[in-house]
Amino acid sequence: MRCSRSLLLRLTLGLAVTLAAAACGSNNNAAKNTSPVSSAPAASATKAASAAATAAATSAASAAATPAAAGSPSAGAYTGPFDGTILFGAPVSLTGSTAKEGGYTHDGYELWKDVYNAAGGIVINGKHYKIDIKYYDDQSNAQLSATLAEKLIKEDHVNFLLGPYGTSPTLQVSTVAEKNQIPMVDTNGAAESIFKQGYSYVFGVLSPAPKYLQGIIDMALAQNPKPTTVAILSADDPFSVEAAEGAQKYAQSKGLNVVYYQKYPSASTNLTAPLTEVKNKNPDLFLNSGHLEESVAIMQQAHQLDFNPKGFGFSVGPSLPDFATTLKADANYVFGATQWTPQLKYNGDDLFKTPANYAMMYKQRYGVDPPYQAAESTAGGVAFVKAIEKAGSLDPKKVRDALASLDFVSFYGPIKFNEIGENVTKPMVVEQWQNGQKQTVWPLEAAAAKPLWPTPSWSQR
Amino acid sequence: MEYVQHIVNGVLAGFLLALVALGFSMVWGILNIINLAHAAFIMMGAFLSYYMWQKIGLDPFLGLPITMVALFVVGFLLQKYVINLVIRASLLVTLLLTFGIEGLAINLALRLFTANTRAVRPSYANASLALGSLRLPYTLLIGAGVTILLTLLLYLFLDHTWTGRSIRALALDRTAASLIGIDIGRTYALTFGIGAALAGAAGTLIATYNGFSPGSFDPYNVLAFSIVVLGGLGSIPGALVGGLVFGLVSEFASVYALPQREVIIFAILILVLVVRPTGLLGKRGYNI
Repeated sequence: MRCSRSLLLRLTLGLAVTLAAAACGSNNNAAKNTSPVSSAPAASATKAASAAATAAATSAASAAATPAAAGSPSAGAYTGPFDGTILFGAPVSLTGSTAKEGGYTHDGYELWKDVYNAAGGIVINGKHYKIDIKYYDDQSNAQLSATLAEKLIKEDHVNFLLGPYGTSPTLQVSTVAEKNQIPMVDTNGAAESIFKQGYSYVFGVLSPAPKYLQGIIDMALAQNPKPTTVAILSADDPFSVEAAEGAQKYAQSKGLNVVYYQKYPSASTNLTAPLTEVKNKNPDLFLNSGHLEESVAIMQQAHQLDFNPKGFGFSVGPSLPDFATTLKADANYVFGATQWTPQLKYNGDDLFKTPANYAMMYKQRYGVDPPYQAAESTAGGVAFVKAIEKAGSLDPKKVRDALASLDFVSFYGPIKFNEIGENVTKPMVVEQWQNGQKQTVWPLEAAAAKPLWPTPSWSQR
Repeated sequence: MEYVQHIVNGVLAGFLLALVALGFSMVWGILNIINLAHAAFIMMGAFLSYYMWQKIGLDPFLGLPITMVALFVVGFLLQKYVINLVIRASLLVTLLLTFGIEGLAINLALRLFTANTRAVRPSYANASLALGSLRLPYTLLIGAGVTILLTLLLYLFLDHTWTGRSIRALALDRTAASLIGIDIGRTYALTFGIGAALAGAAGTLIATYNGFSPGSFDPYNVLAFSIVVLGGLGSIPGALVGGLVFGLVSEFASVYALPQREVIIFAILILVLVVRPTGLLGKRGYNI
């Protein structure tokens, strides 16, 4: 049925690619090339074709979603032949509780792949290598993500790994990468615990979790009336806990009184009990670290319970478009931490150049503004390109060393990894929903609007 | 005094849970099917309400009859032509079949509707009735009313109509029921349809109360199962009581031990079962 038609298409595609690769390969001086490079592309093409047959449903999505590059590349699209393929593996949550964020991750990788391929792919020693990405759906399940990463390495023979969405899967997949000594760029796992494992093959482009809510705290402390009390409600997954603990320590160091600090089972949407408790404590600032569905539930229940702090701040949620489309007017005044916004002013040494340009290209292809999850996924790909071209080879150890020594500014922000693979040079940004629009309000240098503080009570809106 | 708000929260949430469990209880008690597609029916109800509200501005509660009829038809047809094929097989087989149906439905919804989080937001959404310092969300109040009404209607249907009695007869003794002329196939399908309709109603309530996406309905299977077991299989008031107890326990467990909330809830469930294996109000056979 559907399966066999897709299978036929893949086998034909695989055959065509193999023939093309073989034809191109025979033109090259095979003797001089590093042998893994020239034999790997042909092998990986057929491997990809046969492996794809066993993952019909999930891979069909990526096959359908990659027509000729829709994003507009800069000067002159590359029309020459590719001398080979570099295969990246990506276990991403396309279903399950983080399906939305996983979708953005996937879209970010796809945009990177197509824009870079249109410009000639990755260049090693003058040869152009096409970027290919193999996806598996980890269903928002961390253990499954690790299993799929093993599969990508052992069966699909990927050269490198692109990270999944979320800290929990990234933790598991990072172990697989390290064990197999395959370089991995972590694009959507912010917990410090990932980097504290002492791995040398894992590099994260995003700001680590403990920093997430610090921007909001700094922003709040600069407002009038200055807040003196804060309540922190956190989900109990590793990422959220780190963000909450980081926020608690930071708030206390800045003289704020933490009047409530509790964790709830991750993905809970019934939070009436903790919110009632928090309301009774009457904090000035309310902080939550969790995920999208929880942030929506909290705002809805805060309205129902008539909970009115001076400011609501979330680690995840407000930066995503669904937050406002679901909550409508109730989304106003809410602060969200974000890794990146299109309003920032970076001049990137990559094909996307500026945040505004990236946003334009993303919107052209996907019809919506890019959330930071997409941007940091693309940035992960960009980091790989820089490292591979710097190493001049696909040898995992050489690429790993090149990644470790990267120091450049991308459209996503500065990328430079410390000894444990964290990108500590990039700052966290704060956005606020104002009149149905998301505005960057912090840091002040990049702010497009002033923060609205204090938040008017529900009855006054 | 703050506890009163917690009690309010727990009771209102409890009514919602009771409605979730009601259809599940009926199907399990009468057809002996643990319907894992229950969550899928809830999801369908939520999406149907959402699209009716989105496209033609129909208030979700006013559209409830439409949602319930639509889900009834879906459930009826599904039972008659698919589940009926394995109705005489062991419980495990129907469990697997309904599990497969659920997986299919949710992933189909994911393809059709995408993973976007949505909510139905009529004008009174998130607004609450204020009684002193207490807040009672309107959507939950209406939901509680709907649950009580549906429970009452179901009870009257099963007790005072011939169709309802034929359903209960079927649960008591299938062979005897067919001997006295009850159309088994049609009655099974009817029961399943009613279960689906109730699930659809629960979906409507959930859609107004929370943001949802196709993936957010998975927990409802376990919840329905637990509530039915707690309240007692084979009892309609049992589903109601089970839901309310569940809601209250959940709320107060969240106050005192939020991170371990789930542990406490299920520990209490096990405790109840140890003391009273048939659940709080359960009886053997579906005797209302």
